[in-house]
Amino acid sequence: MTSTLPAVTTPKVPAQRQPVPTQRSTRRTTPPLRLRSSRPDLLLCGALLVAILVVQGWNIADYPTLSDDEGTYLAQAWAVQEGRGLAHYTYWYDHPPLGWIQIALLTWIPAALSPDSMTVGTMRAAMLVISAISAVLVYVLGRRLSLPRWAAGLGMVMFGLSPLSVVLQREIFLDNLAVMWTLLAFTLAASPSRHLWHHFGAGIAAATAVLTKETMLFVLPAVFVTMWRHSHRDTRKFALTGAVTACALIGLSYPLFALLKGELFPGSGHVSLWDGIKYQMTRPGSGFILDQGSGSWGVLQSWLYYDRVLIVGGLAGGLLLLVTWRWSVTARALAGPSCAVVILALVAMRPSGYLPAMYVIQALPFLALVLAGGTASVAHAVLRRRRSETEKRYVTGARYAVAVALALAACAYVVPRWYDGARTAVIADANAPYQAASKWLAAEVADPEDTRVLVDDALWLDLVHAGYEPGLGAIWFYKADLDPAVTKTMPRGWKDLDYVVASPTVRRDAVDLPNVRAAMEHSTPVATFGSGDDRIEIRRIRSDGTAPGGVR
Amino acid sequence: MGIWGDLLLTSVFIAVVSLALFWMAAFTLWWQMHAWRTPEVLASTRFSSPDGGEHVSFSLLLPARHEQAVLDHTIQRLLESTHTDFEIIVIVGHDDPETTEVAERAASRDPRVRVVVDTHEKKNKPKAMNTALPHCRGDVVGVFDAEDQVHPELLAHVDHAFRTTKADVVQGGVQLINFHSSWYSLRNCLEYFFWFRSRLHLHAQKGFIPLGGNTVFVRTDVLREADGWDPNCLAEDCDLGVRLSSVGKKVVVAYDSDMVTKEETPGSLMSLLKQRTRWNQGFLQVYRKKDWKQLPGFGQRLLARYTLMTPFMQAFTGLIIPLNIVIAVFLDVPVSIAFITFLPAVTALVTFVFEVVGLHDFGKQYGLRVRFVHYLKLIVGGPFYQVLLAGAAVRAVWREQRGRNDWELTTHVGAHLTHAETRAGTARDLREDVTA
Repeated sequence: MTSTLPAVTTPKVPAQRQPVPTQRSTRRTTPPLRLRSSRPDLLLCGALLVAILVVQGWNIADYPTLSDDEGTYLAQAWAVQEGRGLAHYTYWYDHPPLGWIQIALLTWIPAALSPDSMTVGTMRAAMLVISAISAVLVYVLGRRLSLPRWAAGLGMVMFGLSPLSVVLQREIFLDNLAVMWTLLAFTLAASPSRHLWHHFGAGIAAATAVLTKETMLFVLPAVFVTMWRHSHRDTRKFALTGAVTACALIGLSYPLFALLKGELFPGSGHVSLWDGIKYQMTRPGSGFILDQGSGSWGVLQSWLYYDRVLIVGGLAGGLLLLVTWRWSVTARALAGPSCAVVILALVAMRPSGYLPAMYVIQALPFLALVLAGGTASVAHAVLRRRRSETEKRYVTGARYAVAVALALAACAYVVPRWYDGARTAVIADANAPYQAASKWLAAEVADPEDTRVLVDDALWLDLVHAGYEPGLGAIWFYKADLDPAVTKTMPRGWKDLDYVVASPTVRRDAVDLPNVRAAMEHSTPVATFGSGDDRIEIRRIRSDGTAPGGVR
Repeated sequence: MGIWGDLLLTSVFIAVVSLALFWMAAFTLWWQMHAWRTPEVLASTRFSSPDGGEHVSFSLLLPARHEQAVLDHTIQRLLESTHTDFEIIVIVGHDDPETTEVAERAASRDPRVRVVVDTHEKKNKPKAMNTALPHCRGDVVGVFDAEDQVHPELLAHVDHAFRTTKADVVQGGVQLINFHSSWYSLRNCLEYFFWFRSRLHLHAQKGFIPLGGNTVFVRTDVLREADGWDPNCLAEDCDLGVRLSSVGKKVVVAYDSDMVTKEETPGSLMSLLKQRTRWNQGFLQVYRKKDWKQLPGFGQRLLARYTLMTPFMQAFTGLIIPLNIVIAVFLDVPVSIAFITFLPAVTALVTFVFEVVGLHDFGKQYGLRVRFVHYLKLIVGGPFYQVLLAGAAVRAVWREQRGRNDWELTTHVGAHLTHAETRAGTARDLREDVTA
């Protein structure tokens, strides 16, 4: 029996916090129960946050190149804001809608103040909020997983400043939002007070992450592992069942939503959740990731191009922690993140799976934490392992010398590369052609409201602000082939169109889209911005007897 | 307006009802899970180990009515207590010679046992205990029922709790144990488990507590100052707790699975319904007595108001959830509104899951084997139990409206029960406990 006091009725007496025998046997400095009131933590975390925000925020609109997906999600967020439903075309359960609903909320105030600012380049600024929250959560999670202060800071830096992170976290991707929710789930799961409702909240956050981007499903076991390790034996069954129940119930709201709309199962004349899932599950694979020449290999190379340290180092750190599981306190404390890294690595190595470029986003925080933990483990091994009170001074000196040498070597390797990455991010201008094309379409076309343009998603909102009719005037190019609601408005095919904005994406995909291809073939460039493969051409449909929109 | 207006009105109505239900259920769930919030809270709900010192003397009240079969065993077990300074006062009715005889025999065997005869024409438990109150010599008055199984070390623990916490009242745990008897006893046991294991501690912490009917210990002077129990209240135990905590008396609750007083559920569905009706009516009476309005904090008064009204709200919830979902599915309301109607169902589901885990924990704590079929019964029985609670609540309101707020129900049932209805059943009908 624990020798403790019973609860009392004085209102002044707060909930009692008797010490409960802890199961954690860490000899390290345990993090303070309230990080909020720890000045060194606040200062370190605050300083790092400023650095991250500066590097990520500077020049955010012009680098990296606008991606089609960003356009898609922001346009759908715009549709939500405008009260046009979950998308301005038929919502077809491609992804759960929670992600762009959040983007809609996030950009609500700026969009209300200045409607024209609702374009991809400008609204990337909103992603800074997400990046900031995620970076702070990485730090807090690191501390909650018993990392020393410097290692938690290292994790935060790697998460926020790796060139790969800088590029990907700037973009309006659902994955970035999902990462934030997942980190919140982990942080709540590792709550030092082991509060039932924190664990319940972790379940809700995890479900929100999955509903933001469904690939987060893979990380759920790692959240569970973290929660298991951080819950107390006496309250564990309540905490874990609570979390799982919360997660399942929130997750089930998506099928419930489809059910209430009568779109759970396939049927004639309507889209369905079932079809959406089937589409995602049967997407053509991009090959084995280590098979040179496969699509996945290309994706991997593109990641490594930006940063090798985080990916290779993170995987190595994960392996190190797994191998040293038996001896290392850090390895056991970081079980959750290591687990996430391992699962995500295994999923990426499916031979026949589809591997999108954004896939790595969800691994970034865990790679960073695991690498930081691995570093902490090595530092501990060098500085403290088998060190006795009576150790000779020169041995201790040698330990520190080795540690410093290792740190310097690591810095010498990493800093120049990351500096280059950050430099590019702050000064490069990758979107000039897009901006010029946007300007041209706004200024040079006489009556945009009667003009029909095939355009990629990234430019779509610019056109809408310029006065083109959303959906049937400014048309997401692939809808001309894939959405019956659009094709039925163009009975004469390409002849019913006026322009095609041939961006790299449009040129790439036109091969498989007959209407788009025909429009490309029957058009001539009237303006070209940029050069080479990245150029953007505005092509006018040759007016063979049809009346194209009035051009000056 | 027309159809659109109607639809809007329906939507708003459904949304408001659903959100209200959601918050009610969420709060109830939050409180129900109080003890398991953190390991520290859980640890704090237990008795602390006694240090061997004994400074408090006890007068243990044992009201008994037609309970000659079990009374002697209970007295013997109480006498086995490790504590050295206590007296047992058995209260019997002047019209109940069988029980009196058993009590007198016990008194002649052991000087620590005394008998007090209650001569009220209409008998009830608070009257009986008030009769005995002037005879109490101990520093602390404890209340037990005639068929309670009391742990021998309980008094030592209570003594320690009084000394270390400077409490005016100590409430020990009471636990129904025969979960395997029937589907409703399973739920009934679990109600007690969540109430004494968890919720009551929250009440103690917040400074507003409806006490239980037994295993409750009050300092004699405090009890006399409060004029004992209210003889006209159907839930005199709850009333005493409310009155004491409203004037700032300190109440301590402790629950240890090996230290609880074990009891059995009512013998039939009908007696459970009657018992529940009486509690509900009692709660309603306590609510109307307005003693809780003296509580200093607004939050405390809100908690009091809510707790005393809980049976009715629960009944309401149980009836309205299915109705709400039917409306959502069959009436053509917007998807967002339909979504909101599922919120109360979500909390109900979470509660269900926690009940399943609670049943598992209950089995673990008491070393009882809980089988799969019990979990099944728990889940399937849930809605039916809700209906039972709703029935009892409706019945209580109706009786209270008709002015039938006397003890007639209990005494008559007790007096008129034939032997065929079993003695245990009679005893249980007479027993007063706290509702969950």
